[in-house]
Amino acid sequence: MHDVLIIGAGPAGLAAAIACREWELNVLVIDEFPQPGGRLLGQLHQEPSGRWWNGIDEARNLLDKANDLDTKIRCGVSAYHIEKVDHGFKVHTNQGVYEATNLLIATGAAESAVPIPGWTLPGVISIGAAQVMTNVYRVRVGHKGIIVGVNVLSVAIARELQLAGVEVHSMALPALNLVNEEHGHPKKVMDRLLPIAHLAPSAWVRLGRYFARGTWARNLAVRFYPRQGVKIWGIPIHLRKAVTKINGNDQVESVTVCDITPDGDLIPGTEQTISVDFVCIAGGLYPLAELAAVLGCPFRYIEELGGYVPVHNEQMETPLDGLFVAGNITGIENAKVARAQGTLAGLSIVKRMGQVTGELEEMIDDAKERVQREREEAIIQFHPGIQQGRIKMEAVYKKICTT
Amino acid sequence: MKGLEKIIICRCEEVDLEEIRQTVSQYGSSARETKLRTRAGMGYCGGRICRPMLDAILKKIMGDKPQDQIPLKIQPPVRPVTLARLGDGLHHDD
Amino acid sequence: MMTNRIVNHPVLGKLEERKVIQFTFDGKQFSGCEGDTVASALWANGVKKLRVHEESGQPRGLYCNIGHCFECRVTVNGQPGVRACLTKIEENMVIESGKQLPTPLKTKGPGDHLPRTYAEYATKAETSEEENSRA
Repeated sequence: MHDVLIIGAGPAGLAAAIACREWELNVLVIDEFPQPGGRLLGQLHQEPSGRWWNGIDEARNLLDKANDLDTKIRCGVSAYHIEKVDHGFKVHTNQGVYEATNLLIATGAAESAVPIPGWTLPGVISIGAAQVMTNVYRVRVGHKGIIVGVNVLSVAIARELQLAGVEVHSMALPALNLVNEEHGHPKKVMDRLLPIAHLAPSAWVRLGRYFARGTWARNLAVRFYPRQGVKIWGIPIHLRKAVTKINGNDQVESVTVCDITPDGDLIPGTEQTISVDFVCIAGGLYPLAELAAVLGCPFRYIEELGGYVPVHNEQMETPLDGLFVAGNITGIENAKVARAQGTLAGLSIVKRMGQVTGELEEMIDDAKERVQREREEAIIQFHPGIQQGRIKMEAVYKKICTT
Repeated sequence: MKGLEKIIICRCEEVDLEEIRQTVSQYGSSARETKLRTRAGMGYCGGRICRPMLDAILKKIMGDKPQDQIPLKIQPPVRPVTLARLGDGLHHDD
Repeated sequence: MMTNRIVNHPVLGKLEERKVIQFTFDGKQFSGCEGDTVASALWANGVKKLRVHEESGQPRGLYCNIGHCFECRVTVNGQPGVRACLTKIEENMVIESGKQLPTPLKTKGPGDHLPRTYAEYATKAETSEEENSRA
């Protein structure tokens, strides 16, 4: 019986484990990936200060700290079911059953897809897959490829591919269909790009100036969006071109691209075939909360947080006694926020285990502030309304727990 | 130009958009009924990949608004398990 | 061989020398590096197709690379359904691609019916297997 079992060895899970070990709780961290670090592994971007954020180093820092505190971390362990039992939880995994008094689910996010014909061909991978292949395994995903779906995450990873010597031919939207609306409609995509306009060179910034001035200006910007795209780091980003299908026999050989109207409709006669040997599909992230759902934790759909999220409060507690959540499962934000949430969750678990000291209370308050600060200082926000989303969730928790 | 090639939604069971669209339109089916009729979401991955797409289709055709509960109930096991694994209650107490 | 390896990286630096590991995929000899998964080692060798869809026979490969989608499932040392993206390669590992399976319980439209006896089932299984091998 462990004091706390943590599912997910990413920034949230590792930070929580460290906090719990500092108070000498008996902790076990499990993760199904072959190495700890979660999706920190692979992240690589330059901060405004010029410093590179290297997720592999950040993961190693957390891991070193965890190891100094003799934290038990097991990789290659997949949890497939959790039961609530009398005084805790029974976690069923491919390596057997683990029992714990407290449970922290820090399973992060999964990628949403933007399906187009041919997306099941070998050589078509999710944008996150490309990031891991490039920066974790140091394998080039191809010689020349195209990224389908333009958003905060895919623009950042396009740059990572380029750094590794992979030619990103361009980024374009998925052809509009019943599923792709959010990602295939130029105006909607333009709205979502607002938070990254500041990363781009002058051309983008010039367009960016229009963004903030309401619908009318935005529509104009989409209407007069340059045919050759707007280049970021030399990569053409197209909001008026859509990939209509991916072609190939046993693997990707080319894509068909077509001009689109400001409303995303295909313009007949503009089809073009581009030879590529890989394609990345980028439809954004959603909180991966299946294990919390299996336990019967209440959920709410909060768009600003990225979809269905387990109900939780600012201290990372859920309405289920002993169940905590932290990181992207609570809403899509960056790794620094996830790490701060992990520390906070860890301290909340320490408190639940009976520690009542002024020192702990102070640490909890500091940790809460840290989460807030990381959120405010985030260079890239996955959703501009994240703060409102957090406020909504806090209100839901209070309502559920007082009735 | 349109609709000549299939757009696969559920990769595991190879269920395409048109089949799901038709099923939802014809039966006015809920997420669960759509899953049972088409097998979309019933494959190896447990719906992890197609779930957001199925939600989007139902929202579009049926006008389903997000509820307080996840539309398609998530059931254990959330990863495929061998019967041998289910059978033995191998316990860890380390 | 392994031309897809990113040896020099402007930010991450030079790739350190790692132990070379030999393995086979569908009987062919390949090599990867220590730390590789089955998926990354095969991709580094230019192998993208890892299986065909059990029913349709359509080619499939790696998709999510972090264990979510199960698209990269292969048979490793005789154990089927193993995710290539989560499995580290080991010396002399024997990896087999996923194959098309017979579908004797699938009906082919109005004139066709489900097998009612074992004999009918066996015949259907055989025909389905023949069709698969022809395709």
